[in-house]
Amino acid sequence: MTRLTLKSLASRKLRTALTAMAVVLGVAMISGTYILTDTIDRAFGDIFQQAAEGVDVAVTPRQAVDNGVQETPMDAALLERVKAVPGVAEARGDVFRNVTVVDDENEPVSTGGVPTFVSSAAPGRFEAFDPVEGRLPRADGEIAVDKGTAEEQGFELGETVRVLGDDGIVPLRLVGIAKYGSVDSLAGATVVLTTLRRAQGLTGTEGKFDTIAAAGEGGTSAETLRDRVKAALRGAPVDVRTGEENAEADTKDTQEGLGFLRTALLIFGGIAVFVGAFVISNTFSITVAQRTGELALLRTLGASRRQVLRSVILEAALLGVGASILGLIGGLLVAPGIVLAFKAAGLDLPADDTVLLGRTVFVSLLVGIGVTVVASVAPALRATRVPPIAAMRAGVGLPVRSGRKRFVFAGLLAVVGMAAVLSGLFGGSEGGDAAGQLGLGAAVVFLAVALFSPQLVRPLARVVGAPFERLGLTGRLARENATRQPGRTAATAAALMIGLALVTFVSIFAAGFRASIDDIVDQQFAGELTVRNKDGFSPLPAATRGAVRAVPGVESATGVRFGMSLVNGDETVTFGVDPADLTKGYKLEWEEGDARTLAGMRGDETVVAAPWAKDEGVKVGDTLNVTTTTGEQRRLKVIGSIDEDESGLLGGGILVANDQMARHWDEQRDAFLFLTFADGAKPATVRAGIDRVLDDQFPVAESQDREEVKDAQAGQINQILYLFYALLALSIIVSLFGVVNTLTLSIHERTRELGMLRAIGTSRRQVRRTVRYEAAITAMIGAVLGLVLGIFFAWIVTQPLIDEGFAFELPVATMVGLFVLAALAGVVSAVLPARRAARVDILRALAYE
Amino acid sequence: MTSTSIALCTDLTRRYGEGDAAVDALRGVSVAFPRGEFATIMGPSGSGKSTLMHLMAGLDSPSGGSVVIDGTELSQLDDGRLTQLRRDKIGFIFQAFNLLPVLTAEENIVLPLSIAGRKPDRDWLETLIAAVGLGDRRTHRPSEMSGGQQQRVAVARALVTRPAVVFADEPTGNLDSRASADVLTLLRRAVDEFGQTVIMVTHDAEAAAVSDRIVELADGRIVDDRRVGQVAA
Repeated sequence: MTRLTLKSLASRKLRTALTAMAVVLGVAMISGTYILTDTIDRAFGDIFQQAAEGVDVAVTPRQAVDNGVQETPMDAALLERVKAVPGVAEARGDVFRNVTVVDDENEPVSTGGVPTFVSSAAPGRFEAFDPVEGRLPRADGEIAVDKGTAEEQGFELGETVRVLGDDGIVPLRLVGIAKYGSVDSLAGATVVLTTLRRAQGLTGTEGKFDTIAAAGEGGTSAETLRDRVKAALRGAPVDVRTGEENAEADTKDTQEGLGFLRTALLIFGGIAVFVGAFVISNTFSITVAQRTGELALLRTLGASRRQVLRSVILEAALLGVGASILGLIGGLLVAPGIVLAFKAAGLDLPADDTVLLGRTVFVSLLVGIGVTVVASVAPALRATRVPPIAAMRAGVGLPVRSGRKRFVFAGLLAVVGMAAVLSGLFGGSEGGDAAGQLGLGAAVVFLAVALFSPQLVRPLARVVGAPFERLGLTGRLARENATRQPGRTAATAAALMIGLALVTFVSIFAAGFRASIDDIVDQQFAGELTVRNKDGFSPLPAATRGAVRAVPGVESATGVRFGMSLVNGDETVTFGVDPADLTKGYKLEWEEGDARTLAGMRGDETVVAAPWAKDEGVKVGDTLNVTTTTGEQRRLKVIGSIDEDESGLLGGGILVANDQMARHWDEQRDAFLFLTFADGAKPATVRAGIDRVLDDQFPVAESQDREEVKDAQAGQINQILYLFYALLALSIIVSLFGVVNTLTLSIHERTRELGMLRAIGTSRRQVRRTVRYEAAITAMIGAVLGLVLGIFFAWIVTQPLIDEGFAFELPVATMVGLFVLAALAGVVSAVLPARRAARVDILRALAYE
Repeated sequence: MTSTSIALCTDLTRRYGEGDAAVDALRGVSVAFPRGEFATIMGPSGSGKSTLMHLMAGLDSPSGGSVVIDGTELSQLDDGRLTQLRRDKIGFIFQAFNLLPVLTAEENIVLPLSIAGRKPDRDWLETLIAAVGLGDRRTHRPSEMSGGQQQRVAVARALVTRPAVVFADEPTGNLDSRASADVLTLLRRAVDEFGQTVIMVTHDAEAAAVSDRIVELADGRIVDDRRVGQVAA
């Protein structure tokens, strides 16, 4: 039997290859994700190891609350205490922070997410950067750059490099080009090196350090030294580790950061595998049906049911092995592909030597083989039910499946799936758990719809096939052929349905976000202009507000800052505002209090967002225990509440004055500015003045009017949307392999019919057209199911968000486009099967077997 | 006789394969079929009778010689033209009926017209449906009909375009004697009443007896060509 299985696989190479592809793509995505993230992990690990060289003890500021953007530095006075520890031979404090390097036209030299850092540098045992040309900076007017950036930008010693810091652009003389240990650049980032004082000046960290490194005199172990430093710094909000431990902690941090990317990519790989399972299952069902005679013959010759079962499952397992290996190879190609894609999007991921761990191989094989075997179980069981008599008499085939049983099962699955979805949404679980329940529930619902969909094939085909029938016989035959084996068409369409439902789902979300943002901008942006960072998320240099405020014609420039706090123990977003003039540029809806409440807000007072307060059980008049990013404990009295939900700019947390933000949260930089113009000033003139100031001094910032803000936000949402599209395209491609497979198999079955049609005068073109239309109809059935399910899921999932101001809006144009694209994709996948059908040899097709 | 021939074969040869494995299915066959004749091609298995029909019907191309159907020399035609010729000038009846299971009886009958994108001539269609006796089954699908009924649909399908010639390949091979008789009667009427030309391949002597003329092949050559009623030479 095993030999037979092998021969049967070998004799159907094309089909085997097509079926395998359904798994290969998903496995490639999964293994590629692992390979990619492992490779990046290792690259960062190497960098951190490099940094630990020569460092016995590393002191870093402990973050009281993670503000997600930039760590809060520590007091520079700690350095003296470290130096005073017995056994410490040398200690040094450093700053390592974001800045921007701009070219002669004031354009940032690195764009699109690649960070630029300034690092304080000085020759010595702690210095990880070695000059390969020139030297490290000695004076505050000097600078060195990493070799990668120098080569990319064509920097040469002696020229001026312009760095945009908190106070505007500073021109510095390039005195050195440096390598980081053995690598040319730091994980693709741009790094400039300056004196400590210059680095602190550029980043607004005068009197502060990001790290303190200490080295011991010979004879003292790193651990001993660490414990002594720890004792000496007791009470300060810092972590004290050995150099080795610090490298490990940093590596772990990036791994956690990468964990998100890994999970996200794995989810898309998982979806593709799920879709692949449909394709496999369907292909095996069709093959088993077509091999009825052969299987019956085996049974007649004495093969047991168990042997038949084993032979089908073995075939699946072998296919799984092959597909997994191909998938792994694909993964090795995918990983650099993703790196290139990110690079094209401007994000340089460090991926020097590809890392293939045993775990990656294991998971790929497990997923690939597991999914093919599981998907083949049902068809294999059906194969065992082929009666031996089928070998003798034509027309005796597989026992007819019970429609009712299937119906009940589908209903049951739908209920279970929906229960999981609803529990994920409203069950009170948070984050990952809720998303997990939601995803699992959705998968079960997909399965239920797929099981039920054979009932829908005929009516749907009648609707979507109607336009084709007008095209004459080819259309009519296409529609009839599509509904001949509703189960087959349904399974093929269901695979496509999954991808399209998810695409629809994210499109609706994106449309909703765009509409919500439009609403907010229209209702709340009261000023003439906003100013923000061109990258959309980084804060503005600290001096931006003052410079813009000084432009003639500007009446007010109010800044909004972002921070994080622990409020009564919970992480809470904290906004810094200018109490006196926030409401000039930004309209607030008050729940309790009014503009005067805010204007009179003192340093120990706060205004809260009403929905947040309701969730937290906070009332006006309460006093909140607030821990700031610098670790300070503050008690703030709630003096008012605004009706701002989480999608609002100032929603989801508490408001404090900007001077408080600077003092206690160490945030000097505004994220947004809202500007109003003086009466009688010509808006165009004022704006031109503002833009000139921004271009000359703060080129990372740009001004936007209301419409531009909307466009910019829509642009950002679309970018994410397109990324989702690209990742979901994988699943859709997998399902298209299913279309190819089903068509190829069906055409094989219809050889005789095709021969007859050709004999009585049907042209090859007409045959091709019939196949293409059939594919289009199948794809359109999948599209209708997918669109409906996608809308349904989006509607359910957005219900809790509607209260928070989310606008549920159907992107009609996108959906029509999706439908048309699906039909076209069907046509494209029919190209090969159609050619095959048209090439049928008439005489052979009509010959009697 | 040549001028009124609807199908004319001149020195037809057909060789399959090459070298030692080559098989000569036809070794020089010349024969003419006049308009309005009901002819039978007979012969044992491997005699070349099917090959001859396939060549005349434009389903296969000869190794040598020529076929002219209704004034058109087939060797000059490319695949597209051949397809068009089969569609417009030739009717087919197969042993295995070969109806499309997804279409109704009536849709199967007008299939050749649908392929051509033409509307059926209503009167002619009604005449045909009445002639094949399927008036009450026109909306049935092939799976709901007996073999005899299916083959009658196939006969109607072959006649619906009023082709120059109808080729019937063992039309009674899959039928019981009663259904066979029905189908043969139909073919006879097609010739007598509608003036059709029918060329039938069969090895059923009873079926052959209904026709006007029997052409007998053996080993790729015509060994006998006689009017029905005459004794075999």
